[in-house]
Amino acid sequence: MLREYLQFVLEVIGSVLAGFSVAALIMSLMGFDPLKGLYLITLGGLSDPDYLLSRSSLIMMTGLAFSVPALASAFNIGGEGQMYVGGLVALAVSLYSPNPLLPLASGALAGGLVGLVIGALRAYREVNEVITAIMMNWTFYYLSIYLITTYLYNPLAPYRSVSVPEGSRLSTIDLSGVKLHVSFLVSIALALVAYFLVYHTKLGYEIRVSGLSRRSAVYAGINPRRTFTLSMALGGVFGGFSGALNVIGFTYYMDQLLTSMYGMGFDGIGVALMGRNNPIGIILSSIFFSMLLLGGQRMQVSMNVPKELTDALSGVIIISLAMPYAYRMLISYLRVRKVGRGAE
Amino acid sequence: MEAVSFEEVRKVYPDGTYALKGVSFSVEQGEIHGLLGENGAGKTTLMRILYGEIKPTGGRIKVFGREARFSGPWDAIKAGIGMVYQKFSLVEGFTVMENIVLSSTRIGMDERAVRKRLDYLIEATGLKVPLDQEVSNLPVGMRQRVEILKALVREAKVLILDEPTSVLTPLEVRDLFKVLRRLRDDGLTIIFITHKLKEVREITDRVTVLRRGRVVGTHRTEEVSDVELARMMVGREVLFQLSRKKVSPGRPVLKVKDLWVEGDDGVWAVKGASLTVREGEIVGIAGVQGNGQKELVEAIVGIRKAQRGQVIIGGEELTGRATREVYDRGLAYIPDLRPVGLVMEMNLVENVVLTRIKEFSSGPVIEWGRAREEADKIVKSFNVLVDSLNTPVGRLSGGNQQKFMLGREISRNPSLVIASEPTHGLDVAATEYVRKKILELRDSGKAILLVSTDLDEVFQLSDRIAVMYEGKIIAEGPSESFSLERIGLLMGGVRA
Repeated sequence: MLREYLQFVLEVIGSVLAGFSVAALIMSLMGFDPLKGLYLITLGGLSDPDYLLSRSSLIMMTGLAFSVPALASAFNIGGEGQMYVGGLVALAVSLYSPNPLLPLASGALAGGLVGLVIGALRAYREVNEVITAIMMNWTFYYLSIYLITTYLYNPLAPYRSVSVPEGSRLSTIDLSGVKLHVSFLVSIALALVAYFLVYHTKLGYEIRVSGLSRRSAVYAGINPRRTFTLSMALGGVFGGFSGALNVIGFTYYMDQLLTSMYGMGFDGIGVALMGRNNPIGIILSSIFFSMLLLGGQRMQVSMNVPKELTDALSGVIIISLAMPYAYRMLISYLRVRKVGRGAE
Repeated sequence: MEAVSFEEVRKVYPDGTYALKGVSFSVEQGEIHGLLGENGAGKTTLMRILYGEIKPTGGRIKVFGREARFSGPWDAIKAGIGMVYQKFSLVEGFTVMENIVLSSTRIGMDERAVRKRLDYLIEATGLKVPLDQEVSNLPVGMRQRVEILKALVREAKVLILDEPTSVLTPLEVRDLFKVLRRLRDDGLTIIFITHKLKEVREITDRVTVLRRGRVVGTHRTEEVSDVELARMMVGREVLFQLSRKKVSPGRPVLKVKDLWVEGDDGVWAVKGASLTVREGEIVGIAGVQGNGQKELVEAIVGIRKAQRGQVIIGGEELTGRATREVYDRGLAYIPDLRPVGLVMEMNLVENVVLTRIKEFSSGPVIEWGRAREEADKIVKSFNVLVDSLNTPVGRLSGGNQQKFMLGREISRNPSLVIASEPTHGLDVAATEYVRKKILELRDSGKAILLVSTDLDEVFQLSDRIAVMYEGKIIAEGPSESFSLERIGLLMGGVRA
C-alpha cells in the first residue's frame, strides 16, 4: 500500500519535473525567460480566482464525462457533443422554467441520452463508440449553431442566443467577503456524488469490474453490455451537465460559434487522465488545468508570448502528468478488448 | 560430448523475484534429459533463457562447447536449439506446410527445399502429418508433431519440450514417446520439462531436479527411485494419501438431464449429458481438456446458454436462468482460471464482493465495512498469506489466490459447489490444502461437482467418476469401478 502511494508521488514529481524542464527548454529556445514563464503559467492564474474556479467546474464535469465510462473500459470522446446538447437543452428549458434546477436536470439528462445511445450501439451492435461519438460531436456542433441562429437567436445581439431569464440563473454567494460561484459548489458536490457512485455503490462496482475484467464480470453474473451502456449514459449525464452549467451558471446564453464551450469536452480527457480517473483527483486536476490555461493567458499579456506557444506549454505539462496513467490505461483497455472478444 | 552446459545461471526478475539462484548442470548429446520440478521451480525460466527469450542476470551457457550469448530466439535457433511450447505457436488458418515454410524463411529455405527436407524427415522419424491440411483441423497431438517438425526442419540439435504431455491423451503420449526415442537414437538431444514422475521414469535417460531456483541433483534415471525423486522435488515426503471418511450420500442436489450446449464455434460441445450430484458426494468429471467440460459447467452456472435439456438445482429447474439467480439458489462456482474468479487489480475486500454483492449491500450501496470483516475472516480461516487486505489480489501467489477464492465461495455456505481444476498450477502444499478443504466440504454434506484433467485428483477426491469425451459422458460409476488404465482408455475415446 505504502509502496503504491510512494510510487504515485514519485510519478507525479517526476512528471512535473519532466514537463517543466521541457517547457523551460522550449521557452529559452524561443528567447523567453523560462523562470518568469513557468511562474506565470502555473501561478498566474491565481490572480483571478473567480474565473479560475468557474472554468474548472466546467472541465471537472467533462472530466467525469470521460472517466466514468473509462472505468468500464469505454472511451467516451463524446463529452464535447454531450456538452453542446446539455447547454442547448438547458437554455431552451430555462425559457419556460422559473428556477435553475429544471434546466440543469434536463440538460444533464439530454447528455445522458446521447451517451446512452453511443454506449448501446457499441454494447449491443458492435459499433465502435469512438467513431459514433466523434460523429455525434460534429452533428451536435452544427445542430447547436443552427438552432442558435434560427429559433433561439437574440434580435438585439444577433451573434448570440436569447438569454437565460434571471430566475433560472445560478449566481454567486458571498462567503464573508469571498465571492464564490454556486456552480463551483454544485460541481464539487457532483464530483463527490460521482466518487460515491463509483466506489460505494453496486453499479459503480459493476462498472469497475467490467472495465477490469470482462470475463470476471460474466462469472459474477454481471451483464457487461448493460454496465458498458450505463457507464456511457452516466458519462453523458456529466457531459450534459457541464454544458447546462455553462449556460445556467456563467454565460447565461450561447454564442453563435459556441466559443464559450468549444474544446472543453476534449479538455476533460486531459483532466480525467491527470486525475487518474478518480473523481477526487479530477477535482484537483481540473483546478490545476484551469490554472495552466489562465496562466497561459497571463503569459500572453505580460510576456508577449503567442497563444500557440502557451497552449503548447500547458500541453507539455498536462501530457507529462497524464502520460504514466494514460499508458497504463491504454494497455488495460487493449487487453480488456481482447479478452472480451474471447468471452463473447 | 556436452550439448548444453549451464554454469551458475542466475535470473532475478525486475520485481525482485529470484527465479534462478545459480543453476549448473549439463546435458549430454543424444540423451533425453528430464527437467523435473514443481511449479515455480524455475524450469521454464531456465529454458526460456536457453532459447534466448529472456536474458540471464548472471552465469554462462555453453552450447556444444561454445559460449552462447543470445540476443533473441533467432540466435538460439541458429545455434541449433528448438523449442516446443505448451501452447503451440502455429497459425491456425495456415496449412501445416505453410506454417513450416513460414518458420523457415528466415533461415533462407524456400518451399521446395522445405518440402524435400520434410519428406526425408517424416520418413526418418515417423512423424507423420498431413502437410496440406489446415492446422485448425488437426487434433492437439498432431499439432505438436508439426511443432517438432518445425524445429527439425530448422536443423535443431537440441529440442526443448515444455510439459509436452499436458494436453495429450494417453494414446497420444505413447506415440510421442515413441517418436522421441527414435529421434534420440538418431543423435538428437532432448530436454524434457515435466512435473510428472511417471514420465521421467518412462522417457528420460538422465534427470535434473530443480527446486526453488536451485539444482537439487542430476541422476541417471535408472539409478534413482520415484520416492527419491519426489523427495528431491518437494523437499519432503509427498502426502499422496488423503484420508476419506465414509459418507453416505443424501438426496440429489444437482440434476442435469440430456443437456445440449453449443461451443464458441457453434458446434455442439455438449451432446446430451446427464448427471446427478447428491449431498455429501463428490462427482468427478475426468477427461482431456476440451471435451465439453467447460461448456457443461458454464451452462449449469448460467454463463452459457443450453440449447436443450434441463438443469435442476435443489429441486427447482434453473435452465437458462441468470447466473446471479443460480448463485442465489445455493450454487458456488470455482472457475478454472484465477483471473476469471478474481479481479487481479482489485484488492481482497473488493474481491469478496464479486460473487456476493447481494450479501454485502443494502439497497444500491455496498457495505465495505462488512466486506472487509469477511475478507479478514477468509484470510484467517484459509491461511491466505497476505500483508494487507488492501493488496491487489494479483500480487498474491497462485496458491494464496486459490485459497482466497475457495474461501470466498465456501463461506457463502452453498449447497452445491462446482470446482473446475481447483489445484491447477498450485504447488504441492497448496494442492494438498485445497483438496483437503474439498473433502471437508463433502463431509459436511455439500454436493460437489469436480472437473479436473488431473487424474490423481479425480481419484483422490471423487466418490463417483464420470468420463467426458467429445461432449458425452461415456462412462459413469463409483470410483472403485475405474482403474487408471480404464480411465486412460476412456479419455482417449475407447469404450472400456
